[in-house]
Amino acid sequence: MTLNSLRATGLAATLGIFIILPFVLEDYWIYTVTIGFYYAILAASWALLVGYVGRISFAQTAMAGLGGYASALSVQHIGLPPVIGLGFGVLVAGLIGFVIGRLTLRLHGAYLGLTTIAFAEILRITITAEYSLTEGSRGLQVAALIEGGTRVEYYFLFLAVTVACLALMTWLLRSRIGLFFQSIREDEDGAASLGVNVTLWKTVAFAISSAFAGLAGGLQAHFVQLITPSMMSLQEMGLVLAMAVIGGFHNVFFAALGGVGLQVLLEALRELGEWRLVVFGLLTLLILRLMPNGIFGALFDALAKRLMRNGNDK
Amino acid sequence: MSMVAILEQSLNGLIVSSFYALAALGLAIIFGVLRVVNFAHGELYMLGGYAYFLAVSTLGMPPMLGILVATMALAAVGALVEWLLIRPVYDGRADRPEEYSIMITFALSILLLNLANSLFGPWPRRPEPLFRGGVELGELIVSGDRLAAASVAMLLIAILLAGLRYTWAGRAVRAVSQNREAAAIFGISVTRVGMLAFATGAALAGTAGALMGPVFNVVPSMGIIPVIKAYVIVVLGGLGSIPGAIIGAIILGQVESFATILIPDPSRALAYKDAYGLVLLVGILLLRPEGLFGTKGRRA
Repeated sequence: MTLNSLRATGLAATLGIFIILPFVLEDYWIYTVTIGFYYAILAASWALLVGYVGRISFAQTAMAGLGGYASALSVQHIGLPPVIGLGFGVLVAGLIGFVIGRLTLRLHGAYLGLTTIAFAEILRITITAEYSLTEGSRGLQVAALIEGGTRVEYYFLFLAVTVACLALMTWLLRSRIGLFFQSIREDEDGAASLGVNVTLWKTVAFAISSAFAGLAGGLQAHFVQLITPSMMSLQEMGLVLAMAVIGGFHNVFFAALGGVGLQVLLEALRELGEWRLVVFGLLTLLILRLMPNGIFGALFDALAKRLMRNGNDK
Repeated sequence: MSMVAILEQSLNGLIVSSFYALAALGLAIIFGVLRVVNFAHGELYMLGGYAYFLAVSTLGMPPMLGILVATMALAAVGALVEWLLIRPVYDGRADRPEEYSIMITFALSILLLNLANSLFGPWPRRPEPLFRGGVELGELIVSGDRLAAASVAMLLIAILLAGLRYTWAGRAVRAVSQNREAAAIFGISVTRVGMLAFATGAALAGTAGALMGPVFNVVPSMGIIPVIKAYVIVVLGGLGSIPGAIIGAIILGQVESFATILIPDPSRALAYKDAYGLVLLVGILLLRPEGLFGTKGRRA
């Protein structure tokens, strides 16, 4: 088996499992995994920015909320069909992401972290305060994406969108643009001196990552049919960070698996109450400290190493 | 606005500033020595509040002793966190130290928040304050618990500044902040100073939490808003600058104190109250990331 066939087998097996799942699971768990896909897109979009471009952001869930509110409000007030509203939400999140990326070009590391926290909180506070438009912290009723859709229909829709997003991200990251991103992560000045338009790609990376987050938020809002500002909170951001880190944030696919996996575990361990969040917090710290590629990353590395040792791959 | 009202607002602002300064100084010292922005600072502040609550309400200690217990406990927590989690940032074990430091402290803050939620429950607690009743200063009436807490905070800040200036350890901290390599060459143990800095920073956050806990409430989420203000302050004054942190705290205290009474619609003014500091933060980071007193680098 070569490294590429290991990848292909892993992908096919994972996809196969997710296709079979709704036929064996109860309704409640189908719902849980569907929410898991929301977190998968969100964690992957965060990994795209942090793992590949090396730009930290704590505004990912704020962008998801922005996409969700933009979509919900455009459907409610302009009367757009939910699918078009979803596209509008992606556009708004991408645009604001572009603006933030543009404004924060000079900043990196902790300064960037602080700025994105501030942006995220300003967005959340504004949406909470403008209650005449957004209903504030009571939450806004949102039109359904599929009129009278069943759990299974939503499940497959979310699965399809998640797969499409991951495919799009992988295609992007394997193209020249992906190389530009990684060159910025490794050495910004070096990349610039070799002719990479660092300014452009840093901004674009922020916009793309935000647009994916906006899509995830819009889907989630039209699925749950309720959106509240709490989905933009820093606690939610911490959850997404934990998902990406535990899955492995140097690979969008692993981060997405972390998103679904953690969401399912969170539901499965409900009887532990608040303690499960403590366990996940501890796990995140341990993985960051000891296993920086995440659980799936470490697993893949271990399998790949065995292949190399057997001499089957050059 | 009458003269008394103006005086009252600026005194309120000054009291709030002294708490902000205590928390912000901790961030500044940690950043100065370790080049790490401690995203878990608010949760250390919260732990200080709970340490005070346990000492005073559960064990029945006098409030003054409770504050001392909180300071000591958080110094120990800080030293432990530095040893277990922060050390890879500068000893070459982390691949991308800056990214690692941001994510590890952010993850720590989530862990501590949920830990407090599980251990103590989400209910607000109100431990015994340092002092009860009001104090009259001429025509002004100030609540005694706030004034007492602010006085303790100011005393502590004075002790800290004197310690940084005159003791050997304080000089070592300043030396490492200015130039790591040179300090190491002159025989300062950079590792030990790093641990001292983090322990001091955590102790300051814990003390601030212990002082504020009885004035507001002790709840697991009590650190979230003050820490964002502490970020605003250290960025305003320049990350890592000690005088900058103090002046930043004074500015923010006054801005907040007066901004809330200048906006006519009270419910909306209240909703946006916490956003002013954030707008200030974004503005400074975008226009002058080195802050008022920081040194200018090629890239922030």
